[in-house]
Amino acid sequence: MRSLVALRMVVHDRSSTAGSLLGVVAIVFLVGQQLSVFFGLLSYMSVLVDHSGADAWIMSANLRNADSGNLISGRYIDRILGLPDVAWVEPVLIGNGLFQTSDGSYETVRVIGLRRPRLAGGPWQFARADERALLDVESVTVDRLDLAKLGHPGLDQVREIGGKRVRVRAVTSGARGFQGTLVFASIDKVKEIAKPPPGRYSAILVRFTEGARPEDVLARIRAVLPGCSVYSTAELSRLTQTYYIQNTGIGGSFVFSTVIAVLIGVVIISLTMYASVLGRARDFAVMRAIGGRRVDIAWVVVCQALIIAGSGLFVGFVMLATLLNATRGSGIPSFFPAYVPPALAGATMLVSLLGSLVALRVALKADPASVFH
Amino acid sequence: MAMLRLEGVARDFSDGRQVRRVLFPVNIAFDPHELTVLSGPSGSGKTTLLSIMGLVLRPSEGRIFLDGEDVTTLGDDEASRIRLQHYGFVFQQPMLIEGLSVLENVLLALGVQGVRPNSDALWKAETILKTLGLAEAAHMQPRLLSGGMKQRASIARALIKDPAILLCDEPTSALDAESGQAVMGILKRIAIDEGRVVVVVSHDFRVFPYADRLLKIENGMIASDTREQTGAERPIQT
Repeated sequence: MRSLVALRMVVHDRSSTAGSLLGVVAIVFLVGQQLSVFFGLLSYMSVLVDHSGADAWIMSANLRNADSGNLISGRYIDRILGLPDVAWVEPVLIGNGLFQTSDGSYETVRVIGLRRPRLAGGPWQFARADERALLDVESVTVDRLDLAKLGHPGLDQVREIGGKRVRVRAVTSGARGFQGTLVFASIDKVKEIAKPPPGRYSAILVRFTEGARPEDVLARIRAVLPGCSVYSTAELSRLTQTYYIQNTGIGGSFVFSTVIAVLIGVVIISLTMYASVLGRARDFAVMRAIGGRRVDIAWVVVCQALIIAGSGLFVGFVMLATLLNATRGSGIPSFFPAYVPPALAGATMLVSLLGSLVALRVALKADPASVFH
Repeated sequence: MAMLRLEGVARDFSDGRQVRRVLFPVNIAFDPHELTVLSGPSGSGKTTLLSIMGLVLRPSEGRIFLDGEDVTTLGDDEASRIRLQHYGFVFQQPMLIEGLSVLENVLLALGVQGVRPNSDALWKAETILKTLGLAEAAHMQPRLLSGGMKQRASIARALIKDPAILLCDEPTSALDAESGQAVMGILKRIAIDEGRVVVVVSHDFRVFPYADRLLKIENGMIASDTREQTGAERPIQT
């Protein structure tokens, strides 16, 4: 019956309900949008690592992130291949170059060189053509979202990177890096473009055999290569993301804007629910007089907050989903790990309850004796 | 034994600087089958007395006995439970909760502590509303009712619990003469036929003919009590 009273009050007090609803929607939508951009940027930071298909990455010593390693010797490949529980080992060479666009201008690109035929560490999703395109030595891929920037190169069109002839043979999807435009090519082509010292690579990727204990294999590799950084893929991804969050101001900026969004929502919820409860003070006094306890009044107010929060969550998530769908094909970074929506919903519920505390305090002060005055 | 008995009950109010006594010690008992009217000028202390009788206001001194049990110093939750089980209230304004239908307002008196009213309660609420001439209004919003209908709905809310004690604060003051008489007729019937303690606070002289007992309060003291004047120990039951 108390829940029914709460529901009826919420439905009846339309203006205050709309105000509180606005607060919840503001929290869900604004924080959700911030989170999607944040996680989108996070995914950019470690995009190559996360999609490499490898279990371990070997890079130069004293590594701070996946993009800042020095070159390492290719001789390590054979040493690791000889270890137990290693399925394959592949080098990756990353270089920078200037991509000549159709109008003759240049764009800086990051060229990821992959060894054929495995192409480990290569593109994972294609908008046009597929990974077989990279089996040709002069082939490169460009990403769907970078097409405009690169002058809309068509398939099989010839371009230059770093003054070297390349042929665009595939268009990737979702291959966007935090440090710029990603172009995949064969390792031989990148050697031409970046001109590294012979036999040196940016990283060595290792895949373990089925059933191997990752800690054991990693320990063996570390023992063999004490002068290198050896990370599991997850470790390197975390290291890279942490580095950028701490050193670019993204983390602080995100926290600040999220706190502001939550504060705005809480203030709106607090004020509107406070006004609503003030308007209902007489009703709460009546409920107390006819036998309601303080806990019954609290139940009604908390139920009101939960009903409003639930409704606001629904509206907020619908709006958020609409926005994310609308921007999915754009250059705006947006990504929602599966655990974020429930976490956001739970946090919003808590914040809504927090916002109702002031109202709850007022409601609990309802004096049953006041109904006789 | 009287259903409700007050012994030396007094009440002081303080504005922070001085304490003012609004109700001087009263000894009074109320019996079933009796409609008592508490009358007196504004500020005489009759509403304070009613509030103390209804356990929504604690006396500064004295004791309150309900069916022989001392209920003076009950905790808040316990007092709420007693009010829920033994008391019905009819206020000066009907004070129905907007947003709830008339029927839901009536059922709230049973379910205010979270108990879901069952089908028996629903049947009973509908029966009471029908008895009070509100069958057609059961599913209407209170704002759509006339003043008299609202007050009858508030009486239904008070009666749904079968309270032993029905306390009414100026139940006719917001009503026209005809509606007021109808409401008093209902309260009288409830007192006599259903054997309840019915106490009505009013300074409306049109209410007095319905009283089995008339208590006059002036300056926080009981100025007259018709039971003492007639020497009657119990009202005549009809």
